[in-house]
Amino acid sequence: MPETAAPDTTPGNPPGTVPDDVVLEVRDLAKSYPVRRGVVLKRTVGQVQAVDGVSLALRRGRTLGLVGESGSGKSTLARVLVGIEKPTRGQVLVDGEDVSTMSRAARRELRRNVQMVFQDPYTSLNPRMSVGEIVAEPFRIHRDAVPAGGRRRAVAELLELVGLDPDHAHRYPHQFSGGQRQRVGIARALAVKPRVLVCDEPVSALDVSVQGQVINLLEDLQDELGLSYLFIAHDLAVVQHIADEVAVMYLGRVVEEGDRPAAYGAAHHPYTGALLSAVPVPDPGAPPADADLLLEGDPPSPADPPSGCRFHTRCWLARRLAAEEGVAGDGPDDVPARCRTEDPVLVPLGRHDDGAGDGGAGALPHAAACHFARLAAELGGRPTAPVATGPVLTDGGPGHDIDHDIDHDAAAARGRDVGQGRAVEPGEPAPRAGVRPVPETVPDSPVLESRER
Amino acid sequence: MTDMTETLITPADAARTAGDVLLEVEDLAVEFRSDGGAVRAVDGLSYRVEAGRTLALVGESGCGKSVSSLAVMGLLPPTARVVGGTARYRGTDLLALSPTKHRAHCGTHVAMVFQDALAALNPVHTVGYQLTESLRARTGASRREARRRAVELLDLVKVPNAAQRVDEYPHQFSGGMRQRVMIASALALDPDVLIADEPTTALDVTVQAQVLRLLAEIQAERQMGLVLITHDLGVVAGVADDVTVMYAGRAVEHAPVRDLYAAPAHPYTRALLRSVPRIDVVDEHAGGRLPVVPGRPPAPGSAPSGCSFHPRCDVARTGASGAVPAGEGAVRDVCRTVEPPLDDVAPGRSSACHFAAELLGGARA
Repeated sequence: MPETAAPDTTPGNPPGTVPDDVVLEVRDLAKSYPVRRGVVLKRTVGQVQAVDGVSLALRRGRTLGLVGESGSGKSTLARVLVGIEKPTRGQVLVDGEDVSTMSRAARRELRRNVQMVFQDPYTSLNPRMSVGEIVAEPFRIHRDAVPAGGRRRAVAELLELVGLDPDHAHRYPHQFSGGQRQRVGIARALAVKPRVLVCDEPVSALDVSVQGQVINLLEDLQDELGLSYLFIAHDLAVVQHIADEVAVMYLGRVVEEGDRPAAYGAAHHPYTGALLSAVPVPDPGAPPADADLLLEGDPPSPADPPSGCRFHTRCWLARRLAAEEGVAGDGPDDVPARCRTEDPVLVPLGRHDDGAGDGGAGALPHAAACHFARLAAELGGRPTAPVATGPVLTDGGPGHDIDHDIDHDAAAARGRDVGQGRAVEPGEPAPRAGVRPVPETVPDSPVLESRER
Repeated sequence: MTDMTETLITPADAARTAGDVLLEVEDLAVEFRSDGGAVRAVDGLSYRVEAGRTLALVGESGCGKSVSSLAVMGLLPPTARVVGGTARYRGTDLLALSPTKHRAHCGTHVAMVFQDALAALNPVHTVGYQLTESLRARTGASRREARRRAVELLDLVKVPNAAQRVDEYPHQFSGGMRQRVMIASALALDPDVLIADEPTTALDVTVQAQVLRLLAEIQAERQMGLVLITHDLGVVAGVADDVTVMYAGRAVEHAPVRDLYAAPAHPYTRALLRSVPRIDVVDEHAGGRLPVVPGRPPAPGSAPSGCSFHPRCDVARTGASGAVPAGEGAVRDVCRTVEPPLDDVAPGRSSACHFAAELLGGARA
């Protein structure tokens, strides 16, 4: 690995080189799987949209955390990125080049740069191969990565790099503990000198005491080798420690993204707030998480995602708003009509002047896909605060134009006066590439009307 | 539902009142046969489970926390056996019973939930069938009664559409829902004591929160005794009343949960606590390194001399202030040579560390 004079990863990266800076990018990526029925004569009866229009960029020497529940599409995204799956739509760009338009040879060469660390260190290592053979296996595919004569030495170096004893190369996976096996998985991924590691839940199968060791190792390797990580996890506490930027996925979509402090300090999507409140706090004196924010049940099936905002069936904020507005009864499905009918777009929040999370040039703008993003931030942080309705808010919200927001949102929720979508406010940065344009108007929906009581 | 329980099942010997000692494990020792002779996996473990309270057994993989509960349940693999100690359920020593009687007690009065719900459920039977297997076997309930009870149980663990889902197969359930089924099946006979072995480890954080909440609710409602086995001290804080920390087959610290978190009296507990990544303390370690417990636990049977934690211990090198990282500096003789007993260090709490008093004093200062 010594070939790179590790580009230093501190914020001192050369500014203004945004295109060069991005090593891996996906644009409007979608991956769907057909749902088939029948034993002999299979016919396709539907599509599971595992990933549905995701755009992300990973910058050199940085770590992008990807967070979401099982079934949110984060692992599918990872598999598309490393080439295990082909996308049904959209592009994967490595160093700005579209992988799908390349020749096979060029693609292989580029793929070498993006390697994967798998979740389960027990099933991702072949039990019949010695650890040395496992780490050397990538050389059989990428023959020019290391000259044939130097492979044994390369394996020893790799094992040493990840903190294992090179003399143990002849041992088999079952002779190692979970944490050590995950180190073997990391050594294998590093064998062909990639520049990007896609880590799919690399520590969630490990004891907490060992998780820290593996995360520290990954951080050391990043500093030493100038690696970029896409770090996938369902545990926000873990991501908080390793990621520079965070994207939160729900049912195949990115619902919130931003640099780390932005996403954690001020979650602007109710789903992020719910994820945060689910993380156990190691303090018996801490007040219990607001039961309202905790998610009930499982995510809906990606084969049949809910209409409008995909999160509305489980959204605490939508339920609170509906209750406050008296839009409908208090059943679990009763949410503001706008949530049920209008698909929210990932919109930058334009709050960077707050000083929150200044990540230097090209920092990921904080964006959320929620009609009531500001309310989510207000209420998600202070779970016990009552939902503020118009009259309450007029006595001065904390600074920004919440009251305006609410009046407007409330109106939209009642299905009137929805002429001006409030998507991008004047003065805010334009949506990034890949973020779809905001519909100018909300179509009147008969469903919406009939639900009014 | 309670009346169903009463008609179908012999109710527990006595009603459960908070504070009743339901299960008392004393000086438990378990050995595994291996090529190199007997290997002791659990060594002198004692704990008690009271009605309406939750005890957490905490430790890393291989510390003996699961093996000890398998021993209590009479589910040890053939290579392992109990070589000492007692496990008294309401006064009856389960370990002294014949295997048949032991099995009859466990399942009825002491039930267990396993970590891997997919492996623990049989893929070729419906969920309803498996839920009530124990019920039919032990009480001779009719199919119809059993099915009705299965629906009730699924309702109890908040599986939506219980009446339909009772006829589905395990693969049709998500991970969290499977774990609910496992809990329901453990509750089928209204046990006094529920042992949950890493019930949330394979689950998403969101589902983990749901399952923990469910367990706590059911436990409080029924005044059960709950034993929660986990490696994650983050999980324990919100759920447990008391905590026993295990290392290399032994209990190294026992304390009420608040005391333990406020001031751990064993360096291992302290290291475990530090290693939990925290979300509530923003940016504490951002850019820096996560604190870890250095090294790894000894393989069973090859525990070091003296205090088995001394090779990984910062206190053994420096004293309770812990300025020198483990791995550097000289180990104190007493740690290397004398095995510390689990002694009382404060009311209700005990620690197996030569410097427990120092640790506690340092924390208070």
